[in-house]
Amino acid sequence: MDNIKKLREEAETKILSAQNLEDLNKLYIEIFGKNSALANLTKNLSSLPPESRRQAGANINQAKQDLEKLYQTKRVSLVTNRKSTQIDVTAPGKKQQLGHLHLVSQAIEEIVEIFSKLGFSLQSYPEVDWDWYAFEALNMPKGHPARDDWETFFVDAPQNPKYGRQVLTPHTSNGQVREMEAVKTPPIRMINISRCYRRQIDVSHTPMFHQFEGLLVDKKVSITDLKGTFDFFTKTFFGPNRITRLRPHHFRFTEPSFEVDVTCGVCAGRGCRLCKEGWLELGGSGMVHPKVLEAGKIDPKTYTGFAFGWGIERTIAMKTELPDIRLLYQNDIRFLEQF
Amino acid sequence: MNIKIPVSWLREYLKTDAAAKTIARELSLAGPSVERTEKRGEDYIFDIEVTTNRPDAFSVFGIAREANAILNFVGNKSKLQPPVGMDLNLEPDTKEKLALDVKVANPILCPRFTAIILSNIKIGPSPAYIKNRLEAVGIRAINNIVDITNYIMMETGNPMHAFDYDKILGAKMVLRASKTGEKLTTLDGKNYNLPEGSIVIEDQKRLIDLCGIMGGENSQITRRTKRAIFFVQAYDPKTIRRTTQTLAVRTEAAARFEKGIDLENILPVLSRAVYLAKKNAGAQIASELVDIYPKKQVSKTVTLNSVKLDKYLGIKIEPSKAAQILRLLGFKVETDIARLTAVAPAWRAQDIKEDVDLIEEIARIYGYHNLPSTLPEGQIPQRPDGILKDVIALKNSLKVLGLTEAMSYSIISKAMLNGSQVDPKDAVELQNPLTEEWQFMRPSLIPSLVDVVAKNQNLKQDIAIFEIAKTYIKRKDALPQQDLWLTIVKTGNDFYEIKGLTENILQILKRNVTFQKETRENRIFQKDESAIVNVEGQEVGTLGLLSHTLTDSFGINIQLLSLELNLTKVFGLKTTQKGFKPLSKYPPQIEDISAIFATQTPVTMITEEIKKASHLVKNVEVTDIFESEKIGKGKKSITLRITYQKSTGTPETEEVREARDKIIKMLQKEFLAQVRV
Repeated sequence: MDNIKKLREEAETKILSAQNLEDLNKLYIEIFGKNSALANLTKNLSSLPPESRRQAGANINQAKQDLEKLYQTKRVSLVTNRKSTQIDVTAPGKKQQLGHLHLVSQAIEEIVEIFSKLGFSLQSYPEVDWDWYAFEALNMPKGHPARDDWETFFVDAPQNPKYGRQVLTPHTSNGQVREMEAVKTPPIRMINISRCYRRQIDVSHTPMFHQFEGLLVDKKVSITDLKGTFDFFTKTFFGPNRITRLRPHHFRFTEPSFEVDVTCGVCAGRGCRLCKEGWLELGGSGMVHPKVLEAGKIDPKTYTGFAFGWGIERTIAMKTELPDIRLLYQNDIRFLEQF
Repeated sequence: MNIKIPVSWLREYLKTDAAAKTIARELSLAGPSVERTEKRGEDYIFDIEVTTNRPDAFSVFGIAREANAILNFVGNKSKLQPPVGMDLNLEPDTKEKLALDVKVANPILCPRFTAIILSNIKIGPSPAYIKNRLEAVGIRAINNIVDITNYIMMETGNPMHAFDYDKILGAKMVLRASKTGEKLTTLDGKNYNLPEGSIVIEDQKRLIDLCGIMGGENSQITRRTKRAIFFVQAYDPKTIRRTTQTLAVRTEAAARFEKGIDLENILPVLSRAVYLAKKNAGAQIASELVDIYPKKQVSKTVTLNSVKLDKYLGIKIEPSKAAQILRLLGFKVETDIARLTAVAPAWRAQDIKEDVDLIEEIARIYGYHNLPSTLPEGQIPQRPDGILKDVIALKNSLKVLGLTEAMSYSIISKAMLNGSQVDPKDAVELQNPLTEEWQFMRPSLIPSLVDVVAKNQNLKQDIAIFEIAKTYIKRKDALPQQDLWLTIVKTGNDFYEIKGLTENILQILKRNVTFQKETRENRIFQKDESAIVNVEGQEVGTLGLLSHTLTDSFGINIQLLSLELNLTKVFGLKTTQKGFKPLSKYPPQIEDISAIFATQTPVTMITEEIKKASHLVKNVEVTDIFESEKIGKGKKSITLRITYQKSTGTPETEEVREARDKIIKMLQKEFLAQVRV
């Protein structure tokens, strides 16, 4: 009995004083091997009187188990190079420094992803563009209110005899005729995302914002296709329970024109303080006006199309319930690092 | 434009059992949207958005007309009851007829001019229902005559005006364009210097009306008025709009005139006003009707092909159904097998021009919600994505590299512009900026990002931000240069840190990058601590330590590192094609050589020479560079890790020694290096 105790203490001391893995590995054979003192004790069990055999066997096994445990703990401590063999799973891990993407970028990525699946390619057009692309070609003739100095920013530059003044695009629709010119022969499936500018600043407007625009032109395009495209987008972007509806509206560059609504996420369409009778306005859309197709040198007798566009900031506000759109451009690091 | 309408008022013209809620829903789905319904006592107030192409619906009766068509189509019983008194015979009631001498100088400014004189007026309060209704839509009741003008405008959408006849000098009215320097005090007591070309009315001596916007104070109805001129017109929308903008006045009347007025409805409106004046103020007609209407308004006849209609709607619509819808909306329609021909009602004459306009009418009343939802058929275009797709991927990489994305305004102030390297003459300036804060399109993102750091410097110690956006540089006779730039600004003072980051980024972008010392004067970067970034021999950006002048001007007293990279250029340059190289079967020998060089010796020159020194050298890496007093001034110690490898076997010790000796000799000879073995 004393033998076991002594053996055990010796082995413990050896294990605890091992300086490195190599030493510890050597000890394993010495302590637990076939010819170890412990193994010999087991072999000699038969020489003990039958009445004490059982107890001695149990003691040897206990010692073996305890030593095995101690050995493993020591091993972990040598491997991890840590004094304490206790880990605290709630303590902070050692992280790599990660940055953050702006909410607007995250929304853009999601939107592009969704429309990519429908075959839309992502294009980019000038943010400072000619009057022609921003207005004239979009069936917004001279004298149209959007062309006023107090709604749209103009650049201090000489006018072009053909294309007119230089404007900061107040919408992404300047990409429509540019895309028609680039592609020449439909089909066209284009997404255009860009910074836009309007001469307004108040609680819910910033003079710069992001808009995205979709354009599809082909031989057999109808309002039902526009509906299907929006349904696909809404369910993917906002969630499977949200539904869309089209309401009559008016834009110069589409006919018919629609406002697209999505059921309010807060009240699930029942109507609440944040929405209009259960609906939130997502953006504008419509069937491309024949005059716009003509401006893009596409025959409106053969081709029809639809276009849509809306502010990215608005969709973010709708999705995240962001109370104030201006937060997006204040660049407070505490805000940026939230996302 | 939004209009508030009490449902009780609406029901005066819209005879239906449909509940307010039903009316609101059906209107929103197929016509003007009821954005909110507010319960007020027993009544409901609709807040309705009317689009700018539908001035005909910008009134209580106009909404009733829309609702009536829609309700009938969806199967709700409904009947339209026009206001009473719209077809009076406007003959004088008095024996003695008062004179009014009217001249319209230019019919383009005023396509229809009607007026009539009323006498025997007893000024007093309006009946309660008129006062209540005006109040419900936000108009203050004044007296029975003035209230009629406002009531008529809200009811029919046609603004009108009443003058005190006895204040019109010489009973004369000349409608003309204003001349430079003319002044008028309007009935709200404000004085205006009129812009040239506004529409005005002059009596014998003075201006009495700023037409379409507000009447003059000198001719207004007062408690003492006995005789009045009722006055209903239409004006040139563009001219009205220009005047309201120049003078920055908004009135309910102007909002309607600048959208266009149904010329055919002008006389009925005048008749209705006279009817109310007789009823509410005991008025009598005291003159002949003046009606100057040189060019009659005509609705266009539009033909719609049924194949086109079906193509737009995506379903088959029976021509009889389409015709039914148009008739409900007041169109005159004829159909045959392949097409329908429609003439718009007078109130839509200015809005309905071509077949797609008819398609819209048919589709909306049919109900967009009744159309199925399908995904577009047809081929997917073979069109590659533009660089924005690559930018999305790049942003994700930058995030993983520990950078946080900022987004700042592209329009900047003059002060911010001075924080860029670009000559202000080359900057794109706005012609009509909102404020001085937003005056120029930025030619560089650096000042904006430094500004972001300045705003956050008390919130966080280590800041590492980036932004990807266009910059703008003026070009002669062309749109501005609008390249997309990546700009990084981070706290720190180690040139090699921002250089390493740049190397990481260009590796992610799969481009070969080289760096070159900046030799030009630069206000933004510290000349001695910055470099030019080259890809394929083209300059694509700058990196390094930002200058103190710049950081100081933003009140920052820590060091900032920055990279600006022209992504438009970089994405246009070829990517590195990495082909497969066979893996050597034999392990290499790797050794370090440390040596002391003159500080100005470029490291790449050393590594290039080592590679040339022996064919056994497969790779040279710089593992350490340091300067210290121990080594001496103007000197640096470099540790070079050299990989010796052969394709036929592991290099022998003897071979490696030979190669090493060659290298050491070369270093001593070419670079005067002291090799420390």
